[in-house]
Amino acid sequence: MGEAVGKRGSLKRPSPPRAAEAIVALLLPPACREEVLGDFHERYVSPAQYVCDAIRTVPLVILSRIRRTADPQILLMHAFALYVSFAGAAWFADRAFLDSERGLLCLAIPVVMVMFGILLEDAYAKPGPRAALGLARGPAAGIGLALFVEILFRIDQSPFAIPFRIVLDACGMGLLLCSTIRLLFPPLANQLQGARVPADLLKRSGGVVPPGAILILKSIAALVAIALCGTWLSDLSGLPPPRVISILMLSGLFLLIGYQVSKRGT
Amino acid sequence: VLQEPSYNGGYSETVTNCLLDGDLNLSYDVGQMTKADSLGQFEQLVLTAILALKEDAYGVSVHSKVQELARPKDVSLGAVYVTLDRLEDKGLVASWLSDPTPERGGRAKRCYRMEALGERALEESAVTAKRVWDTIAQVWGKEWAKEWGKQWGKEAR
Repeated sequence: MGEAVGKRGSLKRPSPPRAAEAIVALLLPPACREEVLGDFHERYVSPAQYVCDAIRTVPLVILSRIRRTADPQILLMHAFALYVSFAGAAWFADRAFLDSERGLLCLAIPVVMVMFGILLEDAYAKPGPRAALGLARGPAAGIGLALFVEILFRIDQSPFAIPFRIVLDACGMGLLLCSTIRLLFPPLANQLQGARVPADLLKRSGGVVPPGAILILKSIAALVAIALCGTWLSDLSGLPPPRVISILMLSGLFLLIGYQVSKRGT
Repeated sequence: VLQEPSYNGGYSETVTNCLLDGDLNLSYDVGQMTKADSLGQFEQLVLTAILALKEDAYGVSVHSKVQELARPKDVSLGAVYVTLDRLEDKGLVASWLSDPTPERGGRAKRCYRMEALGERALEESAVTAKRVWDTIAQVWGKEWAKEWGKQWGKEAR
């Protein structure tokens, strides 16, 4: 019906070129495509003005959508899981690469690419619940992007290229971990939207995630981080790993107690 | 059902149960609700535009009104969208899609309406602006205030 109404209206008013409208529609996230395209159509004066409007508006609309669909806590969990996957794969497949001057930096590049893929996939997902398999699409798209960048690095013989064995192992592990995180903590666009409930409250409610889950996952992440740091520090200092790890854990515990005491004091 | 928070300086009295779905019952009290945050200047402009436009507040009309309020500064449509999204996330405005219209190529409008929290935030901003104006007028004198009043009157006409 809408299209019929539009066709009738287009006889009276000038309408934007179809090609330009199709390109803008492709760039806009589906959640806000309808109203933004309608606003552009209503403001249309000339093709140049339309293009100018689109150039000035579309990037901001995309950024706003990313801000609305991204949850920093969950993104941090993804980043941690991915970096552990890449570092773990490098540890087992080619430890010399991990010890090299740029090793840790090189591992961060595909992690950033996968994160970018996840962010974009969430922003461009149609609003509403998605199937469980659909949740793996974000990490899969991100991993595709990371593989593409690594292939470009290899063609260019860049010093930032990672051995392909590490990339493949890490991508497999990363896909598994990220998909699991997304199943446990569905993206914000996937959660139930209540009428007249501010999005901020939905964010705070954590959707369908049990209230203690984030605390448990944070604790596990902290323990894994301490274990990794402890192993690395014991390599550097020559002290046995259990001793370094227990020192780190005790320091962390004291810091946590100090923080809680100061928080209650204020 | 979102009850109006009490305005006696506290937010703790009203308790609301929000039933989102059959098996998910979110309950929160207004103490946990986002307080009426202090608004940025652009947010004030957008909220004022929504207030002035009443039932006809949507992307293009809000942008025109904001442009009018912010003159001589230029305002981009993208900045208005970003601010509308942010205000909606904060619970200061609510939005819905209207019916498609011919002048929009058969596409729907996203209309906006001010929420109680938004009204309170705008009230607070207006009171603060009034205090700023009074203080400046007190320091720079009544003559200056009259001069500015005249200039604003001309601009409004």
